[in-house]
Amino acid sequence: MSLSIYGQQLQSRLLIGSALYPSPQVMKQAILASGSQVVTLSLKRQNPAQQSGQKIWQYIQEVVQQVDGHLLPNTAGCKTAAEAITLAKMSREIFNTQWLKLEVIGDDYNLQPDPIELLKAAELLINDGFKVLPYCTDDLVLCQRLYDLGCEVIMPWASPIGTGKGLMNPYNLETIRLRLPEATLILDAGIGKPSDACLAMEMGYDGVLLNSAIALADNPTAMAQAFSLALQAGEQGYVAGVMAERQTAHPSTPTLETPFWHNS
Amino acid sequence: MNIHINGKAYALANGHPISVTAALAMHFIEPQLSSFAVALNGDFVGKADYDNTLLSSGDSLDVFQPIQGG
Repeated sequence: MSLSIYGQQLQSRLLIGSALYPSPQVMKQAILASGSQVVTLSLKRQNPAQQSGQKIWQYIQEVVQQVDGHLLPNTAGCKTAAEAITLAKMSREIFNTQWLKLEVIGDDYNLQPDPIELLKAAELLINDGFKVLPYCTDDLVLCQRLYDLGCEVIMPWASPIGTGKGLMNPYNLETIRLRLPEATLILDAGIGKPSDACLAMEMGYDGVLLNSAIALADNPTAMAQAFSLALQAGEQGYVAGVMAERQTAHPSTPTLETPFWHNS
Repeated sequence: MNIHINGKAYALANGHPISVTAALAMHFIEPQLSSFAVALNGDFVGKADYDNTLLSSGDSLDVFQPIQGG
């Protein structure tokens, strides 16, 4: 089944970052191996005359074209709504897309999103025509507010960016899924292992966005494939319907007429 | 009587304001050659407005380019 992001149908439910790879070549191989059709990237203050950023941008363009994919620019590094809006407008001009991973950081230690600035920025950007994919904490009311503003896609964190700690608070994430059944939910940030991504999909999440877990693996290309398979397994498990958890043991082998004296 | 481009100071000749296009040229940037976008004092300036947006003394122009991101 496909993932729908603001009406765009995508074959893969994995969204992948383009940072932290050992080389641009490995980045390209890993993105291709992941099957992802959405690649995140960013903007940095630098002089185009120095050409230092041109090569990586060229690689990203090549791989996105190859998979018939989409760019998802982020607003990493922004701490206020005003900064995020300026960066968003620059991204729209350069990348020619309305899609935006909206990121407004409120704390330098754990890079936790600032919910107040995030809501402010989301509202202004939506009114300006952006298709906003907000990166937020796993707070149900915040997610609800973002959805009510017009964010069709909501991206709560699993845990702080780059920690690889996985799903810190499964209850919160399950509750968001339960209470926002119509929203497209992408679990973003903090994923460490393929099983983390699988768990999110088993909860009924629509997709996963990750970067470090693939880029920092010993073999990023193999890890990209592992994540692709994990997402497929989790999605299929969710669709198949997971059994209800029980408090007590129930034998799976029939006990009637088993050949032991204590059954009598 | 300076402007700043990506944090680097440039003197304005006779203190006269210059356009974004002229400021970019001071910084060896030709708008048609590469992918970039600019902000003047923190506010976005679209390419269509480069010629008619002026920088005066004390203004800061920041030039941004694509990089990898998560």
